[in-house]
Amino acid sequence: MSALNHKLWRTIIKTKGQFIAVVAVVAMGIAVYIGMTTAYHNLNASKEKFYRDRNFADYYFHVVKAPQQVTKQIETIPGVAGVTGRIQKDVALINEFNQRATARLTSYTLPMEYEINSLQLLTGRFFAAEGVAAQPGEQTRTGDIEVLVDPQYAEGNRLEYGDIVSIVAEGRVVPLTVVGTATGPEFIYLMKDAGTLLPDPTTFGVIMLSRERAEEILNLKGQINQVLITLAPGADAKRVTDQVEEVLEPYGNLAGYPRKQQLSNAMLEAELDGLRASSRYMPAIFLGIAAAIQFVIISRMVRAQRLQIGIMKALGYRSRQVILHYTGYAVLVALCGAILGTLLGLVLSSFMSRAYALYFNLPASIGAVNTQAIIYGFILSIGISSLAGLTACRSVVKINPAESMRPEPPKGGAKTLIEGWSWLWRRLDTAWKMSIRSAARNRGRFGITLVGIVFAVGMLVVSLFTLDAVDYMINKHFYQNQRYDYLVRFTAPVKESELLNIERIEGVQKAEPLLEVPVRINYNGKSEDDAITGLNPDTSLKKLADPRERPLEVPREGLLISQRTANKLGAGVGDMVEVETLLGIGPSRLSTIKIVGISNQLVGGGCFVSLQQANVLLQERQLVSGVMLKVDSALSAGLEAELEEMTAVSSILSLQKELDNFNKNLEASIYSISILVLFALLLGFAIVYNSSVISFAERQRELASLRVLGFSIQEVSGILLKENLLQSVLGVVLGLPFGYLMVKGYIGALSTDLYSLPVIIYPVTYVYAALGSFFFIIVAHLFAVRGIKQLQLVEVLKNKD
Amino acid sequence: MDVLMKLDRITKTYHMGEITVNALRETSLDVFQGEILVILGPSGSGKSTLLNIMGGMDLPTTGEMFFLGENLSRAGDKRLTGYRRNEIGFVFQFYNLIPDLTGRENVELAADLVDEPLKVQEVLAEVGLAERMEHFPSQMSGGEQQRVSIARAAVKNPRLLLCDEPTGALDYQTGKLILALLVKINRERGSTVVIVTHNTPIGDMAHRVVRMRDGTITEIRENAAPLPPERIEW
Repeated sequence: MSALNHKLWRTIIKTKGQFIAVVAVVAMGIAVYIGMTTAYHNLNASKEKFYRDRNFADYYFHVVKAPQQVTKQIETIPGVAGVTGRIQKDVALINEFNQRATARLTSYTLPMEYEINSLQLLTGRFFAAEGVAAQPGEQTRTGDIEVLVDPQYAEGNRLEYGDIVSIVAEGRVVPLTVVGTATGPEFIYLMKDAGTLLPDPTTFGVIMLSRERAEEILNLKGQINQVLITLAPGADAKRVTDQVEEVLEPYGNLAGYPRKQQLSNAMLEAELDGLRASSRYMPAIFLGIAAAIQFVIISRMVRAQRLQIGIMKALGYRSRQVILHYTGYAVLVALCGAILGTLLGLVLSSFMSRAYALYFNLPASIGAVNTQAIIYGFILSIGISSLAGLTACRSVVKINPAESMRPEPPKGGAKTLIEGWSWLWRRLDTAWKMSIRSAARNRGRFGITLVGIVFAVGMLVVSLFTLDAVDYMINKHFYQNQRYDYLVRFTAPVKESELLNIERIEGVQKAEPLLEVPVRINYNGKSEDDAITGLNPDTSLKKLADPRERPLEVPREGLLISQRTANKLGAGVGDMVEVETLLGIGPSRLSTIKIVGISNQLVGGGCFVSLQQANVLLQERQLVSGVMLKVDSALSAGLEAELEEMTAVSSILSLQKELDNFNKNLEASIYSISILVLFALLLGFAIVYNSSVISFAERQRELASLRVLGFSIQEVSGILLKENLLQSVLGVVLGLPFGYLMVKGYIGALSTDLYSLPVIIYPVTYVYAALGSFFFIIVAHLFAVRGIKQLQLVEVLKNKD
Repeated sequence: MDVLMKLDRITKTYHMGEITVNALRETSLDVFQGEILVILGPSGSGKSTLLNIMGGMDLPTTGEMFFLGENLSRAGDKRLTGYRRNEIGFVFQFYNLIPDLTGRENVELAADLVDEPLKVQEVLAEVGLAERMEHFPSQMSGGEQQRVSIARAAVKNPRLLLCDEPTGALDYQTGKLILALLVKINRERGSTVVIVTHNTPIGDMAHRVVRMRDGTITEIRENAAPLPPERIEW
């Protein structure tokens, strides 16, 4: 077999361009597979380990307030494995730059081990339970309230051991001493709420402190406002939670939700889902196309080397040996691709792990090399390639030694279907006729190349789509729906008349009140938590739209329900729903209200009513919880400073700052988009290059004849280009809509409860994708036909084969 | 007679790996306008190399080639392409037709290249293919394919028709018909015809016969009374 091995080696050297191209496609497939699978497994394992170690809660219950002892009662419910009662409350935070941010104050009972959602200390030390006496050598001062903060907030605000952060709680400014950073299983992905676009550590952070201190600061002596439970294995979740809610009923049930709906977990799971989906379909595209290319290469090789195969057989080689010889080409491609892909995959996975480390607060991020993925990668690569190789060599068996030495019958030209349309056919020049018939003659190769181009173009569309969707969201959210510059929220609802204090600040051009009420909406036995915002019916600072993007007016009476909630409840316009307020202060109120429209907000969702109707829901009058401001941008700095001074203000949301944060986050995704685009271009290049090389090799004789007839190099190259364009243009034309379908499929696989990217692809994106496609098509073509100048007219034409 | 082409001490050396082949050694030859010239010689005698240089498919290593007084021996690819396009018609042993074009389209392809081509239909009728011109090469016999090939060369109305073993792949009768066609084109259109072959009797139809061996011309003989191809026997 060693002579055959030499022959194989020389074949590879002779066709090294094609070999490299197909190895590159395999390598990309394996790299994506290993990179994504490894990242998925590592992220998932880190998550699982962290959840287990930190005793992550199965259920959360929010109440207005309940006595501490209620947890003892819940502990006795069968099926409950563990209970933790705690205080968690959002308070205004005044940071270094004297800017308003939100702190989520969360209490813990020491020692930490028995707590559900216990903390993992990252730097510094745990807070003391009570005001501590100063120890020698320690900075702690008697009476200090020691706290831990989440690492991203610490980093975003450059907080270090011993630094002071100030919060506004119960109308008082309270200084807190930072003694370290910590994270918990519910703080992996830190966003204030589902209505926030992205994590922003400058405006939101978690502050962790002892239960005793939290009770003190928030005036909740002996009280809790949250109950976390873990379920015993095999417990009936529904029965257990019903019983827990019954126990908590007297204390003002605000919300109860499973781990699945916990924001951080949901975001993490969404990312994991997306990663898992991509780790399957992306490699499938690359390896599938690599297999198709190999099939084409080896089929052509067997056809071109018919004589050699005949000679080998005449010498006594068995068909099986010959088949193995040609399949060896595919196996070598697979091996090289797998080795290269593994190396690339490891780089990719470390790149991805680093990106995830930026987004997720996972202390024990596992950077394991996923041997299983590598082994699977090799098996996958070799398996698929061998299959392609074996399929392509089937015809070897049929080659008869004597027959193979006779010249092959001439390639059969034939009329194609298009020739039926003679008005079109007559208008085509000879080069187009040649191309069309040649494509029809090599239908298999044409089809495979076409499919490959369609996928590559589709991938380009998918890669670029993210930018469109995000741009669309920015445009909608920041420039169209939100017409205010600032959204100021108060620590508690105030009378509308008090807004005068804000309207009077210099620079305020317009101020419109709003009243936000967290609610539970019940309909037909189902219930969903949502938020209702009351707005002035004549508001000009907030634009609402229905799912078909038609503008909506704020109704004087009736509810504009969010699309998501409407879908979940199965409720529509005209239906009456029951609304239960969950404000957390005062009793919850029940009322029935008619749905008069469906509102679709890209970010945050939410339902809308008139300001007056919102007050009716709360059985109050003229209450507002916040104000939207349109300001003179020249005076915004002073205005911000003045707002910061107001203790009743809990948060100041600046649209500009939100936009900046958004753009900053977008920069990070540019990398992954670039990688995707690069991969798509490489894929397209490999396909077109391969098909052009084969077409060039098979038609050398024809091309030489044309040169002898007097065609110039450019003219001959033009003929090849026309043939290439025939499949490429078709590929691009089909690939663009296919890209749209891929985007739809991708979004369908990703969509979570929390957010969904709109399937928005700007027309210009199709133009870019088409331009990108023509770029790889032309480059691949030029690479493939480099040999045209060296075409030895005499040599090519002299011999019949 | 006027000289169409002048070859002056042409040599051609090929390097095939480590071996150097002297395909032509200081060969000189004049080709006259309107003549039929047959170059005879065994394989390896350099006759095809000479034809290729005449046709602008290859350049001599040393020596000069003049076509109507223009020195083409150092011409670039662009000039040679133009030369082949406007002045030369090539006929090969194995036809070298474009398989994806019908007989008529193959001829049209060549006609499109020049400013004043002959009428495609007429040329095809002349070579006797009026009936079968819509067939593809794969649907034609060897003789039919060679007729298409001649029509393709002739439609450009070239000054010089170069034929490399035009009957080499054909049976006896068909071969003679093809040769008759070349004579007809020479007579009716005035094209100069150069035929390269190892088949000695074909020399009888030529105005002049050139014999080659080992890369040089050993004999140039004038034929006072060329025989019509129908009467040649081999």
